[in-house]
Amino acid sequence: MPQGSPRFVHGTIHHNTGSGIFYRMEVAIPERIDFVPGQFAMVSGWPGNDPLLPRPLAIFRSGGVRGKGTVEFVYKVVGRGTALLSGLHAGDPIALTLPLGHGFEFPGEERSWWLVGGGVGFSSVFPAAAALDGQRADFEIFLGARTRDQLPPGEWIPGGAVPGRVHLCTDDGTAGFFGTVAAALRDRIDRWRPTGPARVAILACGPREMLKVVAELALPLDIRLQVSLESYMACGFGVCWGCVTAVRDGEKSVYRRVCKEGPVFDAREVVW
Amino acid sequence: MTQPVPPDLSARVGSVHLKNPVMSASGTFGYGLEFTPFYDISRLGAVIVKGLSLLPTQGNAPVRIVETPAGMLNAIGLQNIGVERFVKEVAPRLDAGGAVYVANIYGRTIEEYEAVARRLSEVPALAAIELNASCPNVKEGGIAFGSNPQGLSGLTRRVRAATGKPLWVKLSPNVSDIGAIARAAEEAGADAVTLINTIVGMAVDPRTRRPLLSNVTGGLSGPAVRPVALRMVWEACKAVKIPVVGIGGIQSAVDALGFLLVGAAAVQVGTANFRNPNACIEIIDGIRDFFVREKISRLDDYRGTLLLRE
Repeated sequence: MPQGSPRFVHGTIHHNTGSGIFYRMEVAIPERIDFVPGQFAMVSGWPGNDPLLPRPLAIFRSGGVRGKGTVEFVYKVVGRGTALLSGLHAGDPIALTLPLGHGFEFPGEERSWWLVGGGVGFSSVFPAAAALDGQRADFEIFLGARTRDQLPPGEWIPGGAVPGRVHLCTDDGTAGFFGTVAAALRDRIDRWRPTGPARVAILACGPREMLKVVAELALPLDIRLQVSLESYMACGFGVCWGCVTAVRDGEKSVYRRVCKEGPVFDAREVVW
Repeated sequence: MTQPVPPDLSARVGSVHLKNPVMSASGTFGYGLEFTPFYDISRLGAVIVKGLSLLPTQGNAPVRIVETPAGMLNAIGLQNIGVERFVKEVAPRLDAGGAVYVANIYGRTIEEYEAVARRLSEVPALAAIELNASCPNVKEGGIAFGSNPQGLSGLTRRVRAATGKPLWVKLSPNVSDIGAIARAAEEAGADAVTLINTIVGMAVDPRTRRPLLSNVTGGLSGPAVRPVALRMVWEACKAVKIPVVGIGGIQSAVDALGFLLVGAAAVQVGTANFRNPNACIEIIDGIRDFFVREKISRLDDYRGTLLLRE
């Protein structure tokens, strides 16, 4: 496995607290885990068989030392599984399979990076921002939400204090740019004057319709775009074949697993 | 102090010897190799590899799975690499896993089933072939053969003649008389029957007015099906002399013991692998602990000992 083998671990919740519509959960686990931004975990913490399946959550942060680790998640309550997760408290046990999937790639030749998060999609691009911040790379962040209350707290944004770096967008204009994150990105592209070869890369996660619009903006300009897709998953590690998405393979379209070959795909491959 | 002798968990499905009665079910375990990051798969009774067809199969369009109360519906459509690529690319790597392997096979026609069985007969790593006569998610083949005794008998007889490997026939629960179906497989030469495959089900979205699965219907699995599976395994055990492999919603050692109690020779664990990659190992350990606690020295002393009021 190119990006580290998965493990099944039992952890204990450190804290699991709401901030607006988002929950942030930190879990103590037996070993420190390393992950690539965009990788995820299958998470289940509720007793009993209903709901049956664990929930895929992007890994937000990991820490610790050998023999003692922590891992953090940010999630939004969207259904019964995440509602049950949100009811767990410090000290509660939780089961995790992680790290899973193919995360974002950072080839290195790009001069600047634009990170795009729609809705709770920021949870998989913020780890990428943290990595780029650590490399002192040039990056900007575009965050979209329906309304002001649905944006993540500013202090969660890695490197977010740098002036001009963060572009907030709301559908109702209650914060930042009045419009979708894709529209803000279109403005940014219009203002962008590449000198020499196109050396911007975009990393995006959010609703599929948003990702499609971003792809339609970026791909004709030869801007390299990686998208992190969502799907219903049963296993998360490649055996159930339930989460597939159509991907181009030469002339053909084939079904690839979002949990294994993804969740991050090159946008040129995705059959939108 | 003398160590207590650990209970003998070994099981037999016809001529196939298993170190314990817990196998991973087809379609929930890849080719086994996907689980090597989690544990040593040679600890399992056997690994049933994902269903193989003659040609590579693309599978159904997404959405392929939907969660239901204590269960899930799937309509994967048997996406797989095809028997040729399996034999050339996967089979040579199976020995490294050290497990007992059984190949699950599928065809749209009897001829396709025969061709797959013949090709797999050449793979020494395979201990047996499990005939999938019960997939509810493909338009041709599968359940079309498995839903009545005549169809199943014809298919089993032909595949029986096509391979020297032990032949297990995986039965559909979507029938009125499971005993008659199991007998048809037995009379046609099956070495064992495996049951149950998934129960055909459906889920819809009242707002969009659409089915939740692109295939409209799918196969229900998970704890929701377990009581149905247990009843059918019990009935099949009474109907045939060949070994019955029990499967359906097993999540724990207690669940597995139920199937062994009604007479199953061994069990398969499927959907539980999705929720907990270590499920099979925890079930094996749980069975061993139960036997130690109950002072049962051998699996054979426990199997099929269900007590009924006379």
